[in-house]
Amino acid sequence: MSIVAKETIEVIAQSIGINNLSDDAALSLAPDVEYRMREIMQEAIQCMRHSRRTILTTDDVDGALNLRNVEPVYGFTSGGPLQFKRAIGHRDLFYIDDRDVDLKEVIEAPLPKAPLDTGVACHWLAIEGVQPAIPENAPVGVIAAPSNGNTHEQKDELPVDIRLPVKHVLSRELQLYFDKITELTLRKSDSALFKEALVSLATDSGLHPLVPYFTFFVADEVSRGLNDYSLLFALMRIVWSLLQNPHIHIEPYLHQLMPSVVTCLVSKKLGNRIADNHWELRDFTAKLVALICKRFGHVYNTLQTRLTKTLLNALLDPKRALTQHYGAIQGLAALGPNVVRLLILPNLEPYLRLLEPELLLEKQKNEMKRYEAWRVYGALLRAAGQGIYERLKIFPPLPSPPGHTIWKSKEKVVTAVPNKRKASMEPLEDEPALKKIATDGPIGSLALVTTLAPSGQNDAGQPSSSEKKTANRVGKDGQTLKKSAILNQIWKDDLNSGHTLVTLLELLGEGILSFIPSPEMSLFL
Amino acid sequence: MENMQAVNNFVAAYLKKKGFKEAEQLLEDLQNKDSAPIDFHNDPELAKFIHHFSQSEDDVARYQDGYSKLRSWTYSSLDLYKHELLRVLYPVFIHSFMDMVAKGHLQEARTFFNNFREDHELMHSRDLQKLEGVLSQSHLEEMEFARSLRQSKVNIKICQYSYDLLLQYLHKTQSTAMLGVINEHINFQVSSGQPSSISDDAEVVTLIGSCQDTANQINQKEIHWGLLEDSLEERLEKAGGLLSDSEKTEEENKEGDGDETKKRSVESGKQGASTKKLKKEKALNATAKSARPEASTTPAAPRVKAKLPLPLMYIQSTEVEQSILEDLRNRVQLSSVLLPSVSFYTFLNTHNGLNCSSISHDGSLVAGGFSDSSLKVWDMAKLGQQGGSSILQAENDSTSSEHVVGPNGGKRSYTLFQGHSGPVHSATFSPLGDFILSSSADTTIRLWSTKLNANLVCYKGHNYPVWDVQFSPVGHYFASASHDRTARIWSMDRIQPLRIMAGHLSDVDCVQWHANCNYIATGSSDKTVRLWDVQNGECVRIFIGHRSMILSLAMSPDGRYMASGDEDGMIMMWDISSGRCITPLMGHSSCVWTVAFSCEGSLLASGSADCTVKLWDVTTSAKVPRNEEKSGNPNRLRLLKTLATKSTPVYSVQFSRRNLLFAAGALSKNL
Repeated sequence: MSIVAKETIEVIAQSIGINNLSDDAALSLAPDVEYRMREIMQEAIQCMRHSRRTILTTDDVDGALNLRNVEPVYGFTSGGPLQFKRAIGHRDLFYIDDRDVDLKEVIEAPLPKAPLDTGVACHWLAIEGVQPAIPENAPVGVIAAPSNGNTHEQKDELPVDIRLPVKHVLSRELQLYFDKITELTLRKSDSALFKEALVSLATDSGLHPLVPYFTFFVADEVSRGLNDYSLLFALMRIVWSLLQNPHIHIEPYLHQLMPSVVTCLVSKKLGNRIADNHWELRDFTAKLVALICKRFGHVYNTLQTRLTKTLLNALLDPKRALTQHYGAIQGLAALGPNVVRLLILPNLEPYLRLLEPELLLEKQKNEMKRYEAWRVYGALLRAAGQGIYERLKIFPPLPSPPGHTIWKSKEKVVTAVPNKRKASMEPLEDEPALKKIATDGPIGSLALVTTLAPSGQNDAGQPSSSEKKTANRVGKDGQTLKKSAILNQIWKDDLNSGHTLVTLLELLGEGILSFIPSPEMSLFL
Repeated sequence: MENMQAVNNFVAAYLKKKGFKEAEQLLEDLQNKDSAPIDFHNDPELAKFIHHFSQSEDDVARYQDGYSKLRSWTYSSLDLYKHELLRVLYPVFIHSFMDMVAKGHLQEARTFFNNFREDHELMHSRDLQKLEGVLSQSHLEEMEFARSLRQSKVNIKICQYSYDLLLQYLHKTQSTAMLGVINEHINFQVSSGQPSSISDDAEVVTLIGSCQDTANQINQKEIHWGLLEDSLEERLEKAGGLLSDSEKTEEENKEGDGDETKKRSVESGKQGASTKKLKKEKALNATAKSARPEASTTPAAPRVKAKLPLPLMYIQSTEVEQSILEDLRNRVQLSSVLLPSVSFYTFLNTHNGLNCSSISHDGSLVAGGFSDSSLKVWDMAKLGQQGGSSILQAENDSTSSEHVVGPNGGKRSYTLFQGHSGPVHSATFSPLGDFILSSSADTTIRLWSTKLNANLVCYKGHNYPVWDVQFSPVGHYFASASHDRTARIWSMDRIQPLRIMAGHLSDVDCVQWHANCNYIATGSSDKTVRLWDVQNGECVRIFIGHRSMILSLAMSPDGRYMASGDEDGMIMMWDISSGRCITPLMGHSSCVWTVAFSCEGSLLASGSADCTVKLWDVTTSAKVPRNEEKSGNPNRLRLLKTLATKSTPVYSVQFSRRNLLFAAGALSKNL
């Protein structure tokens, strides 16, 4: 009936000396007791609000009793929550643990420390609406995230990995899977089964719980197994596969993975046998690094800069082994032509000077060392070549619209003018060259037209066929001629790439030329 | 004929029970004359109905049964009309419950209540809490809330089709109990056309119909919400005419926030010059006023004459006036793009004893009212000198509280005002900062002088704790709000109240002056805000819309709008002239202890128990109703910024005359 039980009323009655309260009286009193109690609590809540609090204290109840002219209930200070204890032998009977206090003890106890006096401190909560990051203010990020409704939507787009302090529970199947994979990696990394495993790692959807274990496994094994070439390779393959898996959210674990990966790229020694083709491992790892940078570079914008810094340090330190240099070059090269242009090419000349003695038979007697040096040289060549190739490819081939023939031919004439040769060539090769010119046209056309206007070759369309001869010169003509031609042409076309190319030519000799696509080369050289 | 007689008896009994005396009389007449008896036998439906009615008149199970059927029918009704029909459920629910209690079926009433309370918990949790305790007829009569519910009808706006659906259902199922409740307690306002959308929910259900009617009636009264003639702002405009605009902006730029803190100490010194010679001033005032020509410029807000004789505190000393004018000139124009700087005063080591805080208009003095009956006032300028040269430096040390006390060998860093004999619930500074008023649970209000550091007057009048006290914008007058359900107007020179505003149905929890001093607004636990005319003590507006107790009020400086914050964290913006809610501002998750408008009224700051200060753009929200046709605009209310404190509930916010925002709160670890 009422939440105040009849028995409660009887107990209260007994406590104030009424022993023979009739059942009926108790029953009819109970609802009223409840009502009065609620009334008092309501007033107590009023008092609480006016004390600017959100937690009800015994003071508030006393205040409410005061309002009704009722003697407050003494003895319940709001020092702390009351300790209720369960009565032994009763399921739902509680009592307040009210110890007897020994007065002597209280008197003899040393005085408690005086509480600190109230004070007021002042700080800037905000300056023109912006909260300064001072210790007095709440950390902004923590509060802002849940309070704002918009972040909810953002959360859906960019999932934030909130790791809760719950125990990670792995299913039995996953544990088995993990054990199997690790065993394969450690023992039989060249088996067909391992290849299957790699495919599984790259495609299975349920592997996310294992990612922390795999990252730890990789990091652990790399640090221990630097001498085991095949193991390292297998580990890198696992990383590669994990990166491929679209269902895995590997981002939070990158910081654990990166050191191991970079180790496999620029470590002095990978594997302990001569037969170990650590070059291949380094090449593979370079690709891996590039992949990571491509995928997560936009999220962690410091990722690539940190990586390139590490690699560049490795490259520019003459004390490092050539193998390390090789790894660094490969890593940088894999990051794309821009990195090569910005970081390798400027350092090319001093580095080559350093490398030169190692290359020559007479200076470096150690066959192994020489081989390594040549490897490095090759890598450098390739990196530089790739760089310049990409650079040149920036001008994308445009489809040449027929309507522009006049303009095109003009350009053709223009390019042809400097070396009036009647050498004939296949139209097939000529076509891309035309495109090239056409696309390059807008850049340099103004200069071209002005310089070449006096030559008076304004013929439209036809006459130029004989003049399409720029291309195959390269093979025949001498170096000097090439250079002048390059300078000439490139000065107009692209200052930068021209210079680079020239320097490259000077430094690396003709080796670089194989990287320049023939049409472009035909144009530049 | 016997049968006939029985039916007649039933009908008579029914009519008697329901109090339809005229009908009863008519029936008796009919019976006596015995002419043209109604042919009940040929109308089996009616007979059955009446039979059913008489048979189980007291059967409470019908309420339970009828309500649960009505409920399931409503929930399975057409989506389009569902939300309209759902509105009917709550009044039916509470009235069924009260009917059952009234008939003495307490046990059944309790189970009924518990069975269905969840449905309404979301919207009406507080009402339900109150009603839950009602356990006997006497409680029904005793409790204000229940009584007003019983005595009045609920107004429900509903569209024609929903209404037909409901009636059809009730007739078909013959759930007479429900029909009875609905007839007795619900007043349908049937509108033709489509059902109203869910969004404009505010006024479709008004639980206390009669109250609504009187409110509507009261809200018809005219209000002169314009500003006072000859305000300081106006004088600034005149004075500002001397300065060219470029100069003004230059000064504004120069005047950083850091400067302001220094100035504060200077100002407080200046203000000390003003003393109280009110009576002479009043006489002076009248002459001064008539002598002063009307302002040539036409400001946006209309000007009204003060109905009170105004004190002349500002004009008293030209020095004070100059400093205020200086402040006004250097005021930062706040807007949604230029947010204010907020200086936060944190009370440390309060041991959960701080009940209220107040900040003087220039921010130099901070007062705290404590539950141990003490009032403590800190002079921030002095604190700044002790801790460093300015407040800016004082904030560097988190241990400032200790070192303030430390070097002075236990000397207090504050002025302690003792005199009250109960928890101090409110404190307010006079506009010039030379007086403090404090109100306490000991039913008194005390006036203290910050210059003499002494109690000057004790105002006795309230019979119960005084929850709130506020100085009027011109000083001299103040208003108080109390648990005794009244608000009172006082002047400093009289120990008896000048006016008593009675009308609230529950505690008056907060009070605030209108900018022109002709009105005060009071917020109450009865969930309404009322506006009272100070001159004649009449209630001129009732603002209905809050769902819980109102804790804080603020008036816009142009006198047009009012903001009120409640226990649930909702802030409502009201148009004073129309008495309507412009828009609710939702964002706080706990009690809104304080709200304040910026000096030019473009921003609203609110402080809450959820440890945040929020800044709201009120220019957008306020402008919309003027061009009603665009009212579909979704971004009417805008939360500009949430400033989180470090576990410090915000007790008071206050804009200085230069639009620097001050906020205060007590650091409480156990939140």
